[in-house]
Amino acid sequence: MHTISSLAQAPTERNRSTRGVAVSIKDVSLAYSGRTVLEHLDLEIEAGEFVAIVGRSGCGKSTLLRSVVSLETPQAGSIIIGTHASRTGQPDVRVMFQDSRLLPWKRILPNVMLGLDSSLAPQARRVLAQVGLAERVGDWPATLSGGQRQRVALARALVHDPALLLLDEPLGSLDALTRIEMQELIEDIWRSRGFTALLVTHDVAEAITLADRVILIDGGRVALDEIVHLPRPRTRGSARFAALEERILGRVLQHRASPENQ
Amino acid sequence: MRQALPWVVPIALLLFWQWASSAGVLPSRILPSPRDVLHAFVTLSASGELWTHVRVSTLRALLGFAVGGGLGLGLGLLTGSVRWAETLLDTTLQMVRNIPALALIPLVIVWFGIDESAKLFLVSLGVFFPIYINTFHGIQSVDRGLLEMGRTYGLSGWPLYREIILPGALPSILVGVRFSLGFMWVMLIVAETISARSGIGYMTMNAREFMQTDVMVVGILLYALLGKLADFLAKGLECYWLRWHPAYQAVR
Repeated sequence: MHTISSLAQAPTERNRSTRGVAVSIKDVSLAYSGRTVLEHLDLEIEAGEFVAIVGRSGCGKSTLLRSVVSLETPQAGSIIIGTHASRTGQPDVRVMFQDSRLLPWKRILPNVMLGLDSSLAPQARRVLAQVGLAERVGDWPATLSGGQRQRVALARALVHDPALLLLDEPLGSLDALTRIEMQELIEDIWRSRGFTALLVTHDVAEAITLADRVILIDGGRVALDEIVHLPRPRTRGSARFAALEERILGRVLQHRASPENQ
Repeated sequence: MRQALPWVVPIALLLFWQWASSAGVLPSRILPSPRDVLHAFVTLSASGELWTHVRVSTLRALLGFAVGGGLGLGLGLLTGSVRWAETLLDTTLQMVRNIPALALIPLVIVWFGIDESAKLFLVSLGVFFPIYINTFHGIQSVDRGLLEMGRTYGLSGWPLYREIILPGALPSILVGVRFSLGFMWVMLIVAETISARSGIGYMTMNAREFMQTDVMVVGILLYALLGKLADFLAKGLECYWLRWHPAYQAVR
Protein backbone atom coordinates (compact mmCIF):
# COMPACT_ATOMS: atom_id res chain seq x y z
CA MET A 1 0.00 0.00 0.00
CA HIS A 2 2.84 2.32 0.86
CA THR A 3 6.36 2.54 -0.29
CA ILE A 4 8.87 2.05 2.44
CA SER A 5 11.07 5.10 2.45
CA SER A 6 14.77 4.59 2.43
CA LEU A 7 16.12 3.82 5.87
CA ALA A 8 19.58 5.01 4.95
CA GLN A 9 18.66 8.68 5.10
CA ALA A 10 19.66 10.92 7.94
CA PRO A 11 17.23 10.62 10.87
CA THR A 12 15.52 13.95 10.42
CA GLU A 13 15.34 13.61 6.65
CA ARG A 14 13.37 10.35 6.73
CA ASN A 15 9.69 10.07 5.94
CA ARG A 16 9.36 13.43 4.31
CA SER A 17 7.48 11.91 1.45
CA THR A 18 4.59 9.53 1.43
CA ARG A 19 1.59 10.17 3.62
CA GLY A 20 2.27 12.82 6.22
CA VAL A 21 0.91 16.34 6.44
CA ALA A 22 2.47 19.37 8.00
CA VAL A 23 0.95 20.86 11.13
CA SER A 24 1.20 24.54 11.80
CA ILE A 25 0.34 25.78 15.28
CA LYS A 26 0.44 29.55 15.49
CA ASP A 27 0.07 31.79 18.51
CA VAL A 28 -2.30 29.41 20.29
CA SER A 29 -3.61 30.48 23.69
CA LEU A 30 -5.99 28.53 25.87
CA ALA A 31 -7.25 29.09 29.39
CA TYR A 32 -9.60 27.11 31.59
CA SER A 33 -11.68 29.39 33.79
CA GLY A 34 -8.95 31.96 34.04
CA ARG A 35 -6.01 29.56 34.43
CA THR A 36 -3.68 29.87 31.47
CA VAL A 37 -2.73 26.50 29.98
CA LEU A 38 -1.26 27.49 26.62
CA GLU A 39 0.17 30.93 26.03
CA HIS A 40 1.00 32.21 22.54
CA LEU A 41 2.37 28.82 21.60
CA ASP A 42 3.96 28.32 18.18
CA LEU A 43 4.97 24.95 16.76
CA GLU A 44 5.68 23.90 13.20
CA ILE A 45 5.70 20.19 12.39
CA GLU A 46 6.89 19.04 9.01
CA ALA A 47 5.11 16.43 6.93
CA GLY A 48 6.17 12.95 8.00
CA GLU A 49 8.01 14.18 11.05
CA PHE A 50 7.82 12.39 14.41
CA VAL A 51 7.58 15.00 17.15
CA ALA A 52 7.44 14.20 20.85
CA ILE A 53 6.16 16.66 23.40
CA VAL A 54 7.38 16.26 26.94
CA GLY A 55 6.74 18.23 30.08
CA ARG A 56 5.63 17.73 33.65
CA SER A 57 1.97 16.98 34.31
CA GLY A 58 -0.32 19.93 33.87
CA CYS A 59 2.06 21.74 31.54
CA GLY A 60 -0.54 21.73 28.78
CA LYS A 61 0.99 19.11 26.51
CA SER A 62 -2.16 16.99 26.37
CA THR A 63 -4.26 20.11 25.94
CA LEU A 64 -2.18 21.07 22.93
CA LEU A 65 -2.67 17.64 21.38
CA ARG A 66 -6.40 17.75 22.09
CA SER A 67 -6.56 21.20 20.47
CA VAL A 68 -5.12 19.73 17.28
CA VAL A 69 -8.20 17.47 16.94
CA SER A 70 -10.57 20.18 18.23
CA LEU A 71 -11.39 18.33 21.45
CA GLU A 72 -10.37 21.63 23.03
CA THR A 73 -11.01 25.03 21.51
CA PRO A 74 -8.20 27.54 21.98
CA GLN A 75 -9.32 31.12 22.65
CA ALA A 76 -6.77 32.48 20.23
CA GLY A 77 -4.44 31.36 17.48
CA SER A 78 -4.74 28.92 14.61
CA ILE A 79 -3.99 25.26 14.04
CA ILE A 80 -3.64 24.24 10.40
CA ILE A 81 -3.31 20.59 9.41
CA GLY A 82 -2.01 20.31 5.87
CA THR A 83 -3.94 23.11 4.26
CA HIS A 84 -7.09 22.88 6.39
CA ALA A 85 -8.07 24.22 9.78
CA SER A 86 -8.33 21.41 12.31
CA ARG A 87 -11.67 19.89 13.27
CA THR A 88 -12.87 16.71 14.92
CA GLY A 89 -13.59 13.68 12.82
CA GLN A 90 -11.22 14.72 10.09
CA PRO A 91 -10.68 11.54 8.06
CA ASP A 92 -6.91 11.65 8.01
CA VAL A 93 -6.24 12.63 11.63
CA ARG A 94 -6.49 9.89 14.24
CA VAL A 95 -5.85 9.84 17.96
CA MET A 96 -4.56 7.11 20.23
CA PHE A 97 -5.45 7.84 23.85
CA GLN A 98 -3.80 6.76 27.08
CA ASP A 99 -6.64 4.32 27.70
CA SER A 100 -7.49 2.23 24.69
CA ARG A 101 -11.11 3.45 24.55
CA LEU A 102 -12.27 0.32 22.79
CA LEU A 103 -16.02 -0.17 22.73
CA PRO A 104 -16.56 -3.00 25.22
CA TRP A 105 -19.73 -4.12 23.40
CA LYS A 106 -17.98 -4.74 20.11
CA ARG A 107 -15.62 -7.57 19.32
CA ILE A 108 -12.11 -6.71 18.19
CA LEU A 109 -12.72 -6.61 14.45
CA PRO A 110 -15.84 -4.39 14.64
CA ASN A 111 -13.93 -2.15 17.05
CA VAL A 112 -11.17 -1.65 14.52
CA MET A 113 -13.79 -1.04 11.82
CA LEU A 114 -15.60 1.68 13.77
CA GLY A 115 -16.97 4.20 11.30
CA LEU A 116 -15.82 2.17 8.30
CA ASP A 117 -17.77 0.43 5.59
CA SER A 118 -17.98 -3.33 6.10
CA SER A 119 -16.30 -3.88 2.75
CA LEU A 120 -13.06 -2.79 4.39
CA ALA A 121 -12.94 -5.84 6.67
CA PRO A 122 -9.97 -7.41 4.85
CA GLN A 123 -8.01 -4.22 5.39
CA ALA A 124 -8.90 -4.21 9.10
CA ARG A 125 -7.78 -7.83 9.40
CA ARG A 126 -4.51 -6.96 7.70
CA VAL A 127 -3.80 -4.14 10.14
CA LEU A 128 -4.69 -6.37 13.09
CA ALA A 129 -2.21 -8.92 11.76
CA GLN A 130 0.35 -6.14 11.51
CA VAL A 131 -0.01 -5.40 15.23
CA GLY A 132 0.14 -9.12 15.98
CA LEU A 133 -3.50 -9.76 16.91
CA ALA A 134 -4.76 -11.67 13.89
CA GLU A 135 -6.11 -14.48 16.07
CA ARG A 136 -8.09 -12.24 18.41
CA VAL A 137 -10.46 -10.65 15.86
CA GLY A 138 -13.51 -12.37 17.36
CA ASP A 139 -12.73 -11.70 21.04
CA TRP A 140 -14.27 -9.17 23.40
CA PRO A 141 -12.03 -6.29 24.50
CA ALA A 142 -12.54 -7.31 28.15
CA THR A 143 -10.57 -10.51 27.51
CA LEU A 144 -7.46 -8.68 26.26
CA SER A 145 -4.52 -7.45 28.29
CA GLY A 146 -3.74 -3.73 28.53
CA GLY A 147 -0.96 -4.00 25.96
CA GLN A 148 -3.16 -5.93 23.55
CA ARG A 149 -5.92 -3.38 23.92
CA GLN A 150 -3.50 -0.59 22.99
CA ARG A 151 -2.46 -2.63 19.95
CA VAL A 152 -6.09 -2.80 18.90
CA ALA A 153 -6.40 0.96 19.45
CA LEU A 154 -3.33 1.44 17.26
CA ALA A 155 -4.81 -0.80 14.59
CA ARG A 156 -8.07 1.12 14.77
CA ALA A 157 -6.20 4.37 14.13
CA LEU A 158 -4.06 2.88 11.37
CA VAL A 159 -6.86 1.31 9.37
CA HIS A 160 -7.95 4.81 8.44
CA ASP A 161 -4.50 5.35 6.95
CA PRO A 162 -4.03 8.63 8.82
CA ALA A 163 -1.86 11.43 7.54
CA LEU A 164 -1.42 12.60 11.12
CA LEU A 165 -1.40 10.30 14.12
CA LEU A 166 -1.71 11.86 17.56
CA LEU A 167 -0.52 9.76 20.48
CA ASP A 168 -1.66 10.99 23.90
CA GLU A 169 0.57 9.08 26.32
CA PRO A 170 -0.56 5.84 24.68
CA LEU A 171 1.94 3.70 26.54
CA GLY A 172 1.64 5.41 29.91
CA SER A 173 -0.29 2.64 31.59
CA LEU A 174 1.69 -0.30 30.20
CA ASP A 175 4.40 -2.28 31.95
CA ALA A 176 8.01 -1.60 30.97
CA LEU A 177 8.47 -4.61 28.68
CA THR A 178 5.21 -4.15 26.82
CA ARG A 179 6.05 -0.50 26.46
CA ILE A 180 9.35 -1.23 24.71
CA GLU A 181 7.59 -3.66 22.36
CA MET A 182 4.94 -1.07 21.56
CA GLN A 183 7.57 1.60 20.94
CA GLU A 184 9.24 -0.68 18.41
CA LEU A 185 5.90 -1.41 16.78
CA ILE A 186 4.96 2.26 16.53
CA GLU A 187 8.36 3.17 15.13
CA ASP A 188 8.21 0.40 12.52
CA ILE A 189 4.77 1.35 11.36
CA TRP A 190 5.60 5.03 11.28
CA ARG A 191 8.72 4.29 9.20
CA SER A 192 6.82 2.16 6.71
CA ARG A 193 3.83 4.46 6.34
CA GLY A 194 5.35 7.87 6.67
CA PHE A 195 2.53 9.66 8.47
CA THR A 196 3.20 12.64 10.68
CA ALA A 197 3.28 11.63 14.34
CA LEU A 198 2.77 13.80 17.38
CA LEU A 199 3.46 12.01 20.64
CA VAL A 200 2.73 13.39 24.08
CA THR A 201 4.62 11.61 26.82
CA HIS A 202 6.01 12.16 30.28
CA ASP A 203 8.80 9.68 29.56
CA VAL A 204 11.83 11.52 28.17
CA ALA A 205 13.56 8.27 27.17
CA GLU A 206 10.50 7.27 25.16
CA ALA A 207 10.50 10.65 23.44
CA ILE A 208 14.18 10.30 22.49
CA THR A 209 13.69 6.71 21.32
CA LEU A 210 10.91 7.60 18.92
CA ALA A 211 11.05 11.22 17.90
CA ASP A 212 12.90 13.29 15.33
CA ARG A 213 12.36 16.27 17.57
CA VAL A 214 11.66 16.58 21.25
CA ILE A 215 9.67 19.60 22.38
CA LEU A 216 9.50 20.63 26.01
CA ILE A 217 6.44 22.61 26.98
CA ASP A 218 6.53 24.64 30.13
CA GLY A 219 4.34 27.47 31.31
CA GLY A 220 2.21 27.06 28.21
CA ARG A 221 5.08 27.73 25.81
CA VAL A 222 7.74 25.78 23.94
CA ALA A 223 10.67 25.85 26.34
CA LEU A 224 12.99 23.55 24.39
CA ASP A 225 13.06 22.30 20.80
CA GLU A 226 15.73 19.64 20.40
CA ILE A 227 16.45 17.70 17.22
CA VAL A 228 17.48 14.12 18.00
CA HIS A 229 20.52 13.29 15.85
CA LEU A 230 20.71 9.62 16.72
CA PRO A 231 20.54 6.85 14.12
CA ARG A 232 17.48 4.59 14.25
CA PRO A 233 16.72 2.20 15.78
CA ARG A 234 17.97 3.89 18.89
CA THR A 235 19.36 2.00 21.84
CA ARG A 236 18.89 3.38 25.28
CA GLY A 237 22.28 2.15 26.43
CA SER A 238 24.35 4.42 24.20
CA ALA A 239 26.30 7.28 25.71
CA ARG A 240 24.83 9.89 23.35
CA PHE A 241 21.34 8.74 24.19
CA ALA A 242 22.03 9.00 27.89
CA ALA A 243 23.63 12.43 27.54
CA LEU A 244 20.66 13.75 25.60
CA GLU A 245 18.21 12.25 28.06
CA GLU A 246 20.04 13.85 30.94
CA ARG A 247 20.09 17.23 29.26
CA ILE A 248 16.37 17.21 28.51
CA LEU A 249 15.50 15.86 31.95
CA GLY A 250 17.67 18.56 33.45
CA ARG A 251 15.64 21.18 31.61
CA VAL A 252 12.36 19.65 32.76
CA LEU A 253 13.50 19.69 36.37
CA GLN A 254 15.11 23.11 36.15
CA HIS A 255 11.83 24.58 34.96
CA ARG A 256 9.99 23.00 37.80
CA ALA A 257 12.35 24.63 40.28
CA SER A 258 12.42 28.06 38.70
CA PRO A 259 10.38 30.57 40.73
CA GLU A 260 8.96 32.44 37.72
CA ASN A 261 6.44 29.65 37.15
CA GLN A 262 4.87 29.81 40.54
CA MET B 1 -26.03 -31.53 43.68
CA ARG B 2 -25.32 -27.83 43.55
CA GLN B 3 -28.30 -27.34 41.26
CA ALA B 4 -30.60 -29.17 43.65
CA LEU B 5 -29.50 -27.19 46.69
CA PRO B 6 -31.66 -24.06 46.15
CA TRP B 7 -34.75 -26.26 46.00
CA VAL B 8 -34.23 -27.98 49.33
CA VAL B 9 -35.90 -25.29 51.44
CA PRO B 10 -38.99 -24.78 49.22
CA ILE B 11 -39.60 -28.52 49.02
CA ALA B 12 -39.17 -28.93 52.76
CA LEU B 13 -41.66 -26.10 53.36
CA LEU B 14 -44.11 -27.73 50.98
CA LEU B 15 -43.83 -31.06 52.76
CA PHE B 16 -44.30 -29.38 56.13
CA TRP B 17 -47.34 -27.53 54.80
CA GLN B 18 -48.87 -30.76 53.50
CA TRP B 19 -48.19 -32.48 56.79
CA ALA B 20 -49.71 -29.61 58.79
CA SER B 21 -52.86 -29.70 56.67
CA SER B 22 -53.23 -33.48 56.80
CA ALA B 23 -52.66 -33.54 60.53
CA GLY B 24 -55.36 -30.89 61.00
CA VAL B 25 -52.98 -28.35 62.52
CA LEU B 26 -53.75 -26.00 59.63
CA PRO B 27 -57.50 -25.69 58.92
CA SER B 28 -58.31 -25.48 55.21
CA ARG B 29 -60.35 -22.34 55.99
CA ILE B 30 -57.05 -20.60 56.66
CA LEU B 31 -54.90 -22.37 54.12
CA PRO B 32 -55.80 -25.36 51.95
CA SER B 33 -53.36 -28.25 51.69
CA PRO B 34 -50.96 -28.32 48.73
CA ARG B 35 -52.89 -31.28 47.38
CA ASP B 36 -56.13 -29.29 47.38
CA VAL B 37 -54.38 -26.41 45.65
CA LEU B 38 -53.07 -28.78 43.01
CA HIS B 39 -56.52 -30.23 42.62
CA ALA B 40 -58.02 -26.76 42.17
CA PHE B 41 -55.36 -25.97 39.64
CA VAL B 42 -56.09 -29.12 37.61
CA THR B 43 -59.86 -28.53 37.69
CA LEU B 44 -59.53 -24.88 36.70
CA SER B 45 -57.11 -25.55 33.87
CA ALA B 46 -59.12 -28.51 32.59
CA SER B 47 -62.20 -26.30 32.27
CA GLY B 48 -60.10 -23.71 30.42
CA GLU B 49 -61.20 -21.04 32.87
CA LEU B 50 -57.69 -20.65 34.27
CA TRP B 51 -56.09 -20.08 30.89
CA THR B 52 -58.62 -17.44 29.95
CA HIS B 53 -57.76 -15.52 33.10
CA VAL B 54 -54.02 -15.97 32.62
CA ARG B 55 -54.27 -14.79 29.02
CA VAL B 56 -56.28 -11.71 29.96
CA SER B 57 -53.89 -10.78 32.77
CA THR B 58 -50.78 -11.36 30.66
CA LEU B 59 -52.17 -9.26 27.83
CA ARG B 60 -52.97 -6.44 30.24
CA ALA B 61 -49.50 -6.63 31.72
CA LEU B 62 -47.77 -6.67 28.35
CA LEU B 63 -49.90 -3.87 26.92
CA GLY B 64 -49.24 -1.71 29.98
CA PHE B 65 -45.57 -2.56 29.80
CA ALA B 66 -45.42 -1.65 26.12
CA VAL B 67 -47.18 1.69 26.63
CA GLY B 68 -45.47 2.74 29.88
CA GLY B 69 -42.11 1.26 28.98
CA GLY B 70 -42.17 2.75 25.50
CA LEU B 71 -42.98 6.20 26.86
CA GLY B 72 -40.35 5.85 29.59
CA LEU B 73 -37.71 4.77 27.10
CA GLY B 74 -38.59 7.51 24.64
CA LEU B 75 -38.67 10.29 27.22
CA GLY B 76 -35.54 8.95 28.94
CA LEU B 77 -33.67 8.97 25.65
CA LEU B 78 -34.92 12.47 24.94
CA THR B 79 -34.06 14.03 28.29
CA GLY B 80 -30.81 12.07 28.46
CA SER B 81 -29.59 13.23 25.07
CA VAL B 82 -31.07 16.68 24.57
CA ARG B 83 -30.11 19.34 27.07
CA TRP B 84 -33.17 21.56 26.64
CA ALA B 85 -35.49 18.56 27.01
CA GLU B 86 -33.79 17.71 30.30
CA THR B 87 -34.17 21.27 31.53
CA LEU B 88 -37.77 21.40 30.42
CA LEU B 89 -39.04 18.02 31.58
CA ASP B 90 -36.81 16.32 34.09
CA THR B 91 -37.74 18.38 37.17
CA THR B 92 -41.43 17.83 36.48
CA LEU B 93 -41.01 14.11 35.98
CA GLN B 94 -38.92 13.77 39.13
CA MET B 95 -41.68 15.52 41.11
CA VAL B 96 -44.39 13.29 39.67
CA ARG B 97 -42.22 10.26 40.40
CA ASN B 98 -42.49 10.97 44.11
CA ILE B 99 -46.23 10.39 44.06
CA PRO B 100 -46.86 6.72 44.83
CA ALA B 101 -48.70 5.38 41.81
CA LEU B 102 -51.19 3.55 44.01
CA ALA B 103 -52.17 6.82 45.68
CA LEU B 104 -53.75 7.80 42.37
CA ILE B 105 -56.28 4.97 42.48
CA PRO B 106 -59.27 7.08 43.63
CA LEU B 107 -58.57 9.58 40.85
CA VAL B 108 -58.01 6.82 38.32
CA ILE B 109 -61.40 5.36 39.14
CA VAL B 110 -62.99 8.78 38.69
CA TRP B 111 -61.18 9.33 35.39
CA PHE B 112 -61.46 5.95 33.76
CA GLY B 113 -64.19 4.21 35.71
CA ILE B 114 -63.42 0.57 36.30
CA ASP B 115 -62.86 -0.67 32.77
CA GLU B 116 -59.73 -1.76 30.91
CA SER B 117 -58.25 1.71 30.47
CA ALA B 118 -57.93 2.14 34.25
CA LYS B 119 -55.86 -1.02 34.51
CA LEU B 120 -53.79 -0.07 31.50
CA PHE B 121 -53.15 3.36 33.00
CA LEU B 122 -52.05 1.96 36.37
CA VAL B 123 -49.71 -0.63 34.86
CA SER B 124 -48.23 1.90 32.43
CA LEU B 125 -47.65 4.35 35.25
CA GLY B 126 -45.90 1.75 37.38
CA VAL B 127 -43.68 0.67 34.50
CA PHE B 128 -42.90 4.17 33.23
CA PHE B 129 -40.69 5.55 35.99
CA PRO B 130 -38.17 2.76 36.50
CA ILE B 131 -37.51 2.68 32.76
CA TYR B 132 -37.49 6.45 32.40
CA ILE B 133 -35.05 7.02 35.24
CA ASN B 134 -32.66 4.26 34.29
CA THR B 135 -32.66 5.24 30.62
CA PHE B 136 -31.97 8.87 31.52
CA HIS B 137 -29.25 7.85 33.94
CA GLY B 138 -27.77 5.35 31.47
CA ILE B 139 -27.43 7.94 28.73
CA GLN B 140 -25.97 10.50 31.12
CA SER B 141 -23.35 8.08 32.38
CA VAL B 142 -22.05 6.87 29.02
CA ASP B 143 -18.25 7.00 29.20
CA ARG B 144 -17.15 10.49 28.08
CA GLY B 145 -13.88 9.05 26.81
CA LEU B 146 -15.71 6.76 24.40
CA LEU B 147 -17.84 9.66 23.14
CA GLU B 148 -14.73 11.72 22.59
CA MET B 149 -13.07 8.84 20.78
CA GLY B 150 -16.15 8.39 18.61
CA ARG B 151 -16.10 12.05 17.63
CA THR B 152 -12.43 11.94 16.67
CA TYR B 153 -13.34 8.99 14.45
CA GLY B 154 -15.87 11.11 12.64
CA LEU B 155 -18.99 9.71 14.30
CA SER B 156 -21.82 12.09 15.03
CA GLY B 157 -25.59 12.11 15.00
CA TRP B 158 -27.27 8.74 14.56
CA PRO B 159 -24.09 6.66 14.01
CA LEU B 160 -22.65 8.00 17.27
CA TYR B 161 -25.95 7.19 18.96
CA ARG B 162 -26.15 3.69 17.56
CA GLU B 163 -22.52 2.69 18.05
CA ILE B 164 -21.74 4.30 21.40
CA ILE B 165 -24.59 6.03 23.27
CA LEU B 166 -27.26 3.31 23.06
CA PRO B 167 -25.00 0.33 23.80
CA GLY B 168 -23.39 2.34 26.60
CA ALA B 169 -26.77 3.04 28.17
CA LEU B 170 -28.10 -0.47 27.65
CA PRO B 171 -26.94 -2.05 30.94
CA SER B 172 -28.75 0.69 32.86
CA ILE B 173 -31.85 0.46 30.65
CA LEU B 174 -32.06 -3.27 31.30
CA VAL B 175 -31.86 -2.69 35.04
CA GLY B 176 -34.85 -0.40 34.55
CA VAL B 177 -36.66 -3.12 32.62
CA ARG B 178 -36.18 -5.63 35.42
CA PHE B 179 -37.39 -3.19 38.05
CA SER B 180 -40.39 -2.25 35.97
CA LEU B 181 -41.37 -5.87 35.42
CA GLY B 182 -41.70 -6.18 39.16
CA PHE B 183 -43.88 -3.06 39.31
CA MET B 184 -45.87 -4.31 36.35
CA TRP B 185 -47.25 -7.27 38.31
CA VAL B 186 -47.82 -5.28 41.49
CA MET B 187 -49.87 -2.68 39.63
CA LEU B 188 -51.76 -5.36 37.76
CA ILE B 189 -52.65 -7.25 40.93
CA VAL B 190 -53.94 -4.08 42.56
CA ALA B 191 -55.87 -3.03 39.47
CA GLU B 192 -57.46 -6.44 39.04
CA THR B 193 -58.28 -6.73 42.71
CA ILE B 194 -60.12 -3.40 42.78
CA SER B 195 -62.37 -4.23 39.92
CA ALA B 196 -62.30 -6.66 37.07
CA ARG B 197 -64.55 -9.03 35.21
CA SER B 198 -61.72 -11.32 34.16
CA GLY B 199 -58.08 -11.98 34.92
CA ILE B 200 -56.24 -13.69 37.73
CA GLY B 201 -57.16 -10.95 40.20
CA TYR B 202 -60.83 -11.36 39.37
CA MET B 203 -60.57 -15.11 39.78
CA THR B 204 -58.97 -14.69 43.19
CA MET B 205 -61.42 -12.07 44.43
CA ASN B 206 -64.31 -14.12 43.13
CA ALA B 207 -63.03 -17.14 45.04
CA ARG B 208 -62.97 -15.05 48.19
CA GLU B 209 -66.75 -14.51 47.90
CA PHE B 210 -67.20 -18.27 48.11
CA MET B 211 -64.36 -18.90 50.58
CA GLN B 212 -62.55 -21.05 47.98
CA THR B 213 -59.15 -20.72 49.59
CA ASP B 214 -57.65 -23.27 47.21
CA VAL B 215 -58.50 -21.12 44.17
CA MET B 216 -57.16 -18.05 45.96
CA VAL B 217 -53.85 -19.79 46.54
CA VAL B 218 -53.75 -20.88 42.88
CA GLY B 219 -54.18 -17.22 41.88
CA ILE B 220 -51.45 -16.07 44.21
CA LEU B 221 -49.07 -18.75 42.98
CA LEU B 222 -49.87 -17.84 39.38
CA TYR B 223 -48.81 -14.26 40.03
CA ALA B 224 -45.59 -15.50 41.57
CA LEU B 225 -44.97 -17.79 38.63
CA LEU B 226 -45.66 -15.11 36.02
CA GLY B 227 -43.46 -12.66 37.89
CA LYS B 228 -40.66 -15.16 37.99
CA LEU B 229 -41.12 -15.89 34.30
CA ALA B 230 -40.90 -12.20 33.41
CA ASP B 231 -37.76 -11.83 35.50
CA PHE B 232 -36.27 -14.89 33.85
CA LEU B 233 -36.91 -13.45 30.39
CA ALA B 234 -35.38 -10.11 31.39
CA LYS B 235 -32.33 -11.93 32.70
CA GLY B 236 -32.09 -13.80 29.41
CA LEU B 237 -32.13 -10.50 27.53
CA GLU B 238 -29.37 -9.17 29.77
CA CYS B 239 -27.25 -12.24 29.19
CA TYR B 240 -27.66 -11.91 25.46
CA TRP B 241 -27.30 -8.15 25.05
CA LEU B 242 -24.62 -7.70 27.68
CA ARG B 243 -22.55 -10.73 26.78
CA TRP B 244 -19.62 -8.37 26.19
CA HIS B 245 -19.81 -7.25 29.81
CA PRO B 246 -17.27 -8.88 32.13
CA ALA B 247 -20.01 -9.41 34.72
CA TYR B 248 -21.93 -11.56 32.26
CA GLN B 249 -18.99 -13.44 30.75
CA ALA B 250 -19.72 -16.56 32.79
CA VAL B 251 -22.87 -17.30 30.81
CA ARG B 252 -21.16 -16.91 27.47
